[in-house]
Amino acid sequence: MDRRTTPRAVLLAAGELLAWWAALALLWLVLITTVDTLERVVGASAAAAGALLARAGRRAVRWR
Amino acid sequence: MNGWILAATVELGGGGAAALWGVTTGPVARRVVAQNLTTAALCPALLLLAQGYGRPAYVDLALLLALLGPVGTLVFARLLHEDLEGRRPSAWGLTYAVAGVGAVVVIVVCAATGPGRAMVKLLVIGALLIGGNLIASRALSGGFQGVRGG
Repeated sequence: MDRRTTPRAVLLAAGELLAWWAALALLWLVLITTVDTLERVVGASAAAAGALLARAGRRAVRWR
Repeated sequence: MNGWILAATVELGGGGAAALWGVTTGPVARRVVAQNLTTAALCPALLLLAQGYGRPAYVDLALLLALLGPVGTLVFARLLHEDLEGRRPSAWGLTYAVAGVGAVVVIVVCAATGPGRAMVKLLVIGALLIGGNLIASRALSGGFQGVRGG
């Protein structure tokens, strides 16, 4: 079992992605004009892509 | 012409003109500081205009400016890294003054908007504007020495 595939590491990664997704989806809901089903679906999808990018970016610029 | 548009005109005529003058005259260290403060001077005016015209959608312009302005300053700080070596350009008095003006404008427009998603959006814009401006000012004055390439 690789160090990156231990249950603890997977849980941490999933937790981080979920936190990014929640924050980005909330930001989307705040910034749009009218809240309807289409906006929710598009916002959730965009937040999912954004969460992956945000985690990749944070790992790329990690200072320590 | 209502009070909001009058306030935006004063802001544009005072802060905007001063920033334009600073950008077009003087040494490069002063120009780059003035360029950084342009965002902080113009963004509150856009918020006031959106309120004055009764078009909440115009707030998106202020959001874009608050997001892209500090990023532009960071690009300048990187590009002018050698020209600014050892100069540490900064104007902290002006920086905090325009940050204060931005905070006051955001609070007043929030009070006029009332609670709701629009108010949260305004608070996000205010946080981006003030936080981005302070970070960009600190980067210009050489505050992030640990960052590779300035």
